[in-house]
Amino acid sequence: MGPLLQVSRVTKRFGGLTAVSKLAFELRRGEILGVIGPNGAGKSTTFNIIAGTYAADEGEIRFDGESIAGMPPHQIARRGVMRTFQHNRPFEGMSVLENVLVGAHTRFGRNLFSRSAAAEEREQRAQAERLVEFVGLGELRTANVDRLSFGQGRLLEIARALAGAPKLILFDEPAAGLTRAEAERIATVIRGIAERGIAVLLIEHDMHFLLPLAHRVVVLNFGAKIAEGTSDEVRSHPAVLDAYLGHAAAV
Amino acid sequence: MRVVAWVAAFVALAALPFFLGSYHNDVYRKLLLWVTLALGYNFLFGICGQVAFSHFAFYGIGAYGVVILLFQVGLPLPIAILLALLICVILALIVAIPATRLEGFYLALVTLALAQLFIVLLNEGGTVTGGAGGIANYRLPPIFGTRISGPAYTLVIVALLMLTLALLWRLDRSWFGRACRAVRDNPEAAAAMGVDVARTKVIAFTLTSALAGMAGMVYAFVDNTVNPPIFGLENAFLILFMVIVGGAGRHAGAIIGAVLLFLLPFWLSPVVGHHHQLIFGALVVAAILLWPKGLVGIWDRFSR
Repeated sequence: MGPLLQVSRVTKRFGGLTAVSKLAFELRRGEILGVIGPNGAGKSTTFNIIAGTYAADEGEIRFDGESIAGMPPHQIARRGVMRTFQHNRPFEGMSVLENVLVGAHTRFGRNLFSRSAAAEEREQRAQAERLVEFVGLGELRTANVDRLSFGQGRLLEIARALAGAPKLILFDEPAAGLTRAEAERIATVIRGIAERGIAVLLIEHDMHFLLPLAHRVVVLNFGAKIAEGTSDEVRSHPAVLDAYLGHAAAV
Repeated sequence: MRVVAWVAAFVALAALPFFLGSYHNDVYRKLLLWVTLALGYNFLFGICGQVAFSHFAFYGIGAYGVVILLFQVGLPLPIAILLALLICVILALIVAIPATRLEGFYLALVTLALAQLFIVLLNEGGTVTGGAGGIANYRLPPIFGTRISGPAYTLVIVALLMLTLALLWRLDRSWFGRACRAVRDNPEAAAAMGVDVARTKVIAFTLTSALAGMAGMVYAFVDNTVNPPIFGLENAFLILFMVIVGGAGRHAGAIIGAVLLFLLPFWLSPVVGHHHQLIFGALVVAAILLWPKGLVGIWDRFSR
């Protein structure tokens, strides 16, 4: 079986600025791949191209054997790529459980009036309850989302993405804005997701969070890949030390 | 159990007209129609978060459509109903498909223009629409050899209301209803969950517009007259206010808002005369400023 996600020679320009240049990497099933780099390295642009928010100017993105480059976000989600948002984006007027059920949108059959519709609803509701438990929000499942703390909101983002039964989850800086304890909770949840056989792509600013978590790391600087390897390899890579860490003592 | 509740509600609503005089029967019918309209508009505005001013115009298109097809064109009743419904659906698609692809208030602007254009067309429609005087002095054709009139016709309106509520209730508690709420709350996150945002908006707009058209067809045989002033723009705003005052996004809110705002002038006029408009305005402003979740929101707070 080939790689689950294959990004090849992807380039994105904003006016005169090349945000991402001829970027290529692969992601295997069940793998946690981290994408790191200093501010402005092109991490968010890369993320948004894979999620379908931006269209790449050049290059190809293949997911599960199919080209997804240029597809709108809902089509990409339908193929099994779910995402979280760096700034939590809950559906404000709904309970925690209903938010997770929206994540299961693509799991429902189209016919609302068929005999199986009620059974399907019950089944997805039970699955959503299990996911709310899995991320540790069980006691809050009927609460309105405005009662959640920022960290709990991040956990909800994860449960909601899992509800779509994805093959790949994209995490947009999942540790941003969290306390150390909350970040550790998120790291545990992400490991649990990978153990379920779901591939994980993380873009992250915080090395202390990412390096112990990722199986493999891609390092970006000025829109180009400057290094790739395991956390240990990347940690001691001269180009990375130079471009991103500034000085070796930081790690 | 749930079926029993629905049947009980239908029986209660259907039995009432047989105990009312003809004046109160007339008020009751219009009340039921307003509740039906408010329920449909609540789905579009309160649940799917789309601001449109064409709901009452579609009510008028349904009413005029069926009357013109029956009495000007001379089609049989079932075909006239289906064709009038088809016209509503096609018009709704023509309005919604371009408007929902644009951001923000374009749907509001386009539907406002449609509502205005509809009134102009009615007035300038010559013999087809009857111009400013509209069309009158027609009767509902017999159905299976019987003419439905009086309290029996009120049953038709009750059936319309109950079917509308049942359909919207079912949709609201399904993946489609959740997709609509998701589109309302955060379109970008909804898309990331696999919701086709533009398609969801188009379906919600077309469906609720068709429901308004159906209500209009039923209305056409309440007074047996259709004319332009009935379908004026102020009624488009009245539906919006009903939903806001009652509580947007909740079926109960739409029902309470429609009942209250429809009956308010009847209660207030004998006391304060035309000043009831002032009280009405103050109520709407108070609802927007003080009770953003409407009257059902207040009820929730006290019942908790």
